[in-house]
Amino acid sequence: MEKSISVSHLSKRYEVQALQDVSFDVNRGEIFGLIGPDGAGKTTLFRILTTLLLADEGSATVDGFDVVTGMKAIRRRVGYMPGRFSLYQDLTVEENLQFFATLFSTTVAEGYALIAPIYSQIERFKTRKAGALSGGMKQKLALCCALVHRPSVLFLDEPTTGVDPVSRKEFWDMLETLRQSITILAATPYMEEVKRCNRVAFLHEGRLKGVGSPDEILEKFKDVFNPPALQHHEESTSEKTEENVIQVQHLVKAFGDFHAVDDISFSVHRGEIFGFLGANGAGKTTAMHILTGLSQPTGGHATVAGFSVSTEYEQIKRHIGYMSQKFSLYEDLTVAENIRLFGHIYGMASAEIESKLNRMLQRLQFTDHANDIVSSLPLGWKQKLAFSVSIFYEPDIVFLDEPTGGVDPATRRQFWELIYEAAQRGITIFVTTHYMDEAEYCDRISIMVDGKISAIGTPNELKTRFNQPDMNSVFTLLARQSTRQSD
Amino acid sequence: MRLHYLIYKELLQMKRNPFLKVLVLIYPVFIMCVMPWVMNMEVKNIAVVVVDNDRSTLSQQLVHRIEASHYFVFKGEKASYSDALNDIEQSEADVIVELPDHFERDRMQGKQPQILVAVNAVNGTKGAMGAAYMNRIVTEHLSADALFSTLTDRVSTLYLYNKHLDSKLFMVPALMGILLMMVCGALPALNIVAEKETGTIEAINVTPVGKFSFIMAKLIPYWFLGLIVMTICFVLAWLVYGITCVGSLGWVYLLALLLAFCFSGFGLVISNYNQTMQQAMFVLWFFLVVLMLMSGLFTPVRSMPWWAYLTTFVNPVSYFIEGIRTVFVRGGDFQSILPQLLGLSVFALFFDTWAILSYRKNE
Repeated sequence: MEKSISVSHLSKRYEVQALQDVSFDVNRGEIFGLIGPDGAGKTTLFRILTTLLLADEGSATVDGFDVVTGMKAIRRRVGYMPGRFSLYQDLTVEENLQFFATLFSTTVAEGYALIAPIYSQIERFKTRKAGALSGGMKQKLALCCALVHRPSVLFLDEPTTGVDPVSRKEFWDMLETLRQSITILAATPYMEEVKRCNRVAFLHEGRLKGVGSPDEILEKFKDVFNPPALQHHEESTSEKTEENVIQVQHLVKAFGDFHAVDDISFSVHRGEIFGFLGANGAGKTTAMHILTGLSQPTGGHATVAGFSVSTEYEQIKRHIGYMSQKFSLYEDLTVAENIRLFGHIYGMASAEIESKLNRMLQRLQFTDHANDIVSSLPLGWKQKLAFSVSIFYEPDIVFLDEPTGGVDPATRRQFWELIYEAAQRGITIFVTTHYMDEAEYCDRISIMVDGKISAIGTPNELKTRFNQPDMNSVFTLLARQSTRQSD
Repeated sequence: MRLHYLIYKELLQMKRNPFLKVLVLIYPVFIMCVMPWVMNMEVKNIAVVVVDNDRSTLSQQLVHRIEASHYFVFKGEKASYSDALNDIEQSEADVIVELPDHFERDRMQGKQPQILVAVNAVNGTKGAMGAAYMNRIVTEHLSADALFSTLTDRVSTLYLYNKHLDSKLFMVPALMGILLMMVCGALPALNIVAEKETGTIEAINVTPVGKFSFIMAKLIPYWFLGLIVMTICFVLAWLVYGITCVGSLGWVYLLALLLAFCFSGFGLVISNYNQTMQQAMFVLWFFLVVLMLMSGLFTPVRSMPWWAYLTTFVNPVSYFIEGIRTVFVRGGDFQSILPQLLGLSVFALFFDTWAILSYRKNE
């Protein structure tokens, strides 16, 4: 079969070995998956193949051209979607597309046939600024922009991180329709997406561990990709009381005419792990900001740890921990300095902080890294650390906003072990996630659609009620009912 | 007390910021060693060509005198006025001096021969100054020669406070204003916007840290930094130019602190209304440049049009510059800078209150 991408003995070193003797081939018309934990060298590989970076050793060809000598030819033939930042947020949908077309001296009309199936879904928003689109729509637009010059190879570097399951599924459906004419090399942390590739390569610490069909690779490295599901701690249910630590009644947050949160009511019991699910733009983050005292509701009322979110929000802040979507530790401080800072912020005594700090680092097997600058740590570690910091002073409730975005399954599992430990200590967990396997780990979940809660209950209750085999199907079923313009 | 750990955190971050270290060292050196030379208000090196139609002893003496002046660069003699004018058009000369035929003879006979001084006045200041210097040289030359006294001998000028008309003495204290606006206004504002961009500010906003503590922890390190940089500047001014403060340094530091309070408040207001670095940078830049140019830092405020002059009453930088020049150059005391101190205090109070009111932990 004809080769579209050929990589042979590629090595690249920064302060660490990013790539070490990597060789593989991608056939024309294939969807080839690139998987591996954060820091495995995926982005480095993308940058070398798209001629943005020079390799130290080895060679690679894309569409028959060498990445060094054939640089110009390659740049005309490839499309690249580098993760999150490939759109101009201040330009409209149409202007973005025209801009990328002009870059390759073509027009939108010329490439329209190829992008029509995708673009038709967002065309009605063509005068809207890209920054105002929801996550799923941004990805669609970015894909159109990468395709408008009709490339023969498409590079996608984790295109769907932070995008909800329904939009992700639609995105991959589109990729499949492109497969005939275009070779696709895509990195992804989501297992259901890995399974849709023809073949996948597993990178770990810069080395290629294996290439094969998704099933082969996932089976061969199942300790990484398919860790045994967590056992639900049934004993913890005994500690749960019917006492409600979060009580929400008819909560509304409106921005002008737009009701981001539209009359929601629910309650969370003490010691519970509560999953707060919803598609991008459904209003999860807005609701969470109200509950954490960052923003005021425009209607209804809610109490957290017994305090009203409208008036006593400063008291709420003495009883909660919070880990935001954006990474919330100081990157230029060391691990220990971050922990001490947050310890002192909550008024803990120095001696207490030190002893707790040591215990915590030991439990995380992190003692050697206490004096490392946070920015030098891998993403998975940072997130475990951020979580540990958010529960460092033993709050009543901890709010986690997509804490595991972009992390491989093994690390996510370790993260959830930490969540279970915290829950056992009696901390109530309020968590949002786009991973449906994580939804199954929760005691109860709610699913938000268009600012309203359309279902609430234990994972098993929901599966039975909607007659679906797993949470993914339940979520897809509900999120498809969305009528909100933005999604 | 939480404040002290928050300040400790800021200091740690400052310590790890390579840009700040460079700033603290390079900035005072640049401000002190380069700026006073470039922002010189004196006009020097005016290119002059001479058309001597007389070619007598007296006329040649005058030419030598022009040649010797350190204000002028002598570009040679030309055969005719039109040749000389050509030089001006080529931008090779700024001033033409034309001496008439029979200049010496007419002088001797007691007539008043006319000397033409033609000046390129595209740059108005340079033209006017060039003409004035040239007049002076010519007058001095002729009066000494004719042995009768001219006006210059009857008027005596006494330059108060700045005997040598050294513009550095005038600029050095005013440059402190720019420095404090940068270090105490722009840096903390950008620091807060940077925390908004990375999302760490959200992590702080969900904690019980009060907005007052958070803001103070941001500002205090920069106030110290500003005063340290200013001190380095004063030491440099003394070492390099021998310029020292005539009045009490205490008043200078008080003025500096008040200006720092004004601009840190102002910077915070901007950071509260802007979500991105880029936006904040543009807004800050706009206001800082306008406030600076309209403050009387470079130009005397009284030569502005009246409406522009009125704006200096709502410009904290003007109060500061007026105040610091009074103390630093003239040796003024508390009484003489009282209006400036009051003005700055009002602005500091206004901006700081606005800053704290507009910072929202809860929207």
